[in-house]
Amino acid sequence: MSAIGADQMLPVPRDRRRHRDKARVAVVCCLSLLTVGTMAPFVAMVVVALSPAGEPTIPTAWPSRLTLDNVTRAFRMSGMIRWALNSAIVSLVTVVLSLVTSSMAAYAFAKHKFPGRDAIFWAIVATLMIPFQATMIPLFILANDLGWIDSYAGLIVPMIANTNAVFLLRQFIREIPHELFEAAKVDGAGELRMFVLVVVPQLKSIGATLAVFLFLWNWNDFLWPLVIAQSDSMKTLTVGLSTLAGKSPLLPELMGTALVGVIPCLIVFAFLQRYLVESISTTGLR
Amino acid sequence: MSLPVRERLASGSGGHEVQRTRRRPVLPRIVSFVIFLAPTLLLFAVFRFLPIVGTAGMSLTDYKITGAWKFTGVANYERLVHDPVFHRSLLISLVYVGLYVPMTLVVALATALLLDRVAFWRGFFRGALFLPYVTSFIFAGIIWSAILGVDGLVNSALGRLHLSAIPFLESTVLVLPSLAMVSCWKGFGYSMLILLAGIKSVPNEVKEAALIDGAGGWQRLRWVILPMLRPTVFFVLVIETIAGFQVFDIIYMMTGGGPVRASYTLVYALYDKGFRSFDFGYASSIGVVIFGIVLVVSLLQRRFVGRREEDG
Repeated sequence: MSAIGADQMLPVPRDRRRHRDKARVAVVCCLSLLTVGTMAPFVAMVVVALSPAGEPTIPTAWPSRLTLDNVTRAFRMSGMIRWALNSAIVSLVTVVLSLVTSSMAAYAFAKHKFPGRDAIFWAIVATLMIPFQATMIPLFILANDLGWIDSYAGLIVPMIANTNAVFLLRQFIREIPHELFEAAKVDGAGELRMFVLVVVPQLKSIGATLAVFLFLWNWNDFLWPLVIAQSDSMKTLTVGLSTLAGKSPLLPELMGTALVGVIPCLIVFAFLQRYLVESISTTGLR
Repeated sequence: MSLPVRERLASGSGGHEVQRTRRRPVLPRIVSFVIFLAPTLLLFAVFRFLPIVGTAGMSLTDYKITGAWKFTGVANYERLVHDPVFHRSLLISLVYVGLYVPMTLVVALATALLLDRVAFWRGFFRGALFLPYVTSFIFAGIIWSAILGVDGLVNSALGRLHLSAIPFLESTVLVLPSLAMVSCWKGFGYSMLILLAGIKSVPNEVKEAALIDGAGGWQRLRWVILPMLRPTVFFVLVIETIAGFQVFDIIYMMTGGGPVRASYTLVYALYDKGFRSFDFGYASSIGVVIFGIVLVVSLLQRRFVGRREEDG
């Protein structure tokens, strides 16, 4: 961006400009190569998934015809729909509960003074330094004691607490002008009304961004569902597909299942790419 | 969203009127506080703090799956010190991090610098390069197993060219580079975006000044952009190092820790001891080691970034 801006501003000698043009072509070529490399596995997945099972396909031969058989068979395969449904339920419920609880706490942290507020807030932020895997065994025992093994509660409740959500929402609510709250207070609004009428409407964009990230995290999550979901009917899509891959069916069938798992991510990406990219660039959300 | 409150505020009237119609809040302030904070505090206390204390505590016991346990002091840690399997897993994690982090940093930095130089099609390139980041390691693992496996796409192509197959996932030498490469493919988009934002934040005046001074592309990169990018690069290094030490999904999916434990990392050891052997006490002590490593790396960043801010 800046280099181009500078080009337009400065009189550049001709040989220099030619050099610059060459450099630009080189940049585009490099990027194109990298992009091809990054996309190749997806393309391979799609082509193999659409190839008839048992027939030669890439890289030895181009498939004789393209078919959706593998994808439909993936859906008919034991549990596939159930797993996808479980993933959807777990992801969506977790996202909603995370957003509701985090924004409520964030409001208290951002706009109220109470003893120990900052200490509690930074203690929550400090949990970012606790790797989930290191807490997994006590969590599993806890879930067991609560009777949550192999249940939605076990899959969902431990995942609701989300440091990123609390932190970002608190930063955001702090920016809401004080006058809005004063006006509502004069109006006689209690905390609950204030939260619903003043805070929530301001959180639309950050809430949407967080929702996308939380959805992807939960949809793609693996280790916790792996230890919690014991019966086939409680598996999420990632856990289900990992067991399926262990039985190693034919390559086209396997790619068909992978395609089913990747498609929701691709849809989210297609519609919200700009959103995702911008929020990573500005907040470092991971 | 237009708020009634905001409208009233803007109109500037209403102060008295509102005072008259003032109602008592349904709940006293302090009660609503508790309601606002309670769910989050409870969730964090029970599902974040309690478990990490639990891991530390359990690492001092011989906790069994039955729930029976007795205090064994540092016996688990003594076992760690003498356990060759643990030593190997620590070494394998270090090698993996040593492969994955530089690879990811180089690819992310290169793509970020290239993206900074294109105007046309930048959105397309950025999106395409970032795409793998939104998929799961499980789906990525299925795809890459099909590509790198013995009967995979790469080896079929090699076979067609009458070349011998490359055992990407079956060779103890190649397995870690292969896994690091797949993780890099899946993960570099995030670091690329962070670095791109860092490059963007280098003031244009600085870049232009370098241009006027006659600095070529390479000189500008070496003496202007990279020095100003140092804090961002360090952040990326820390984030990716932590991610590297936490690697699990892709290994579970592609190698199962093999061949002959050649990709048996720390987290894989924790999972294996905890959820296959149900040796909860011993697995907890591995958890404490993982926690310690992540904590040290995180604190290192805080210290470094803090010092830089003081300098500036």
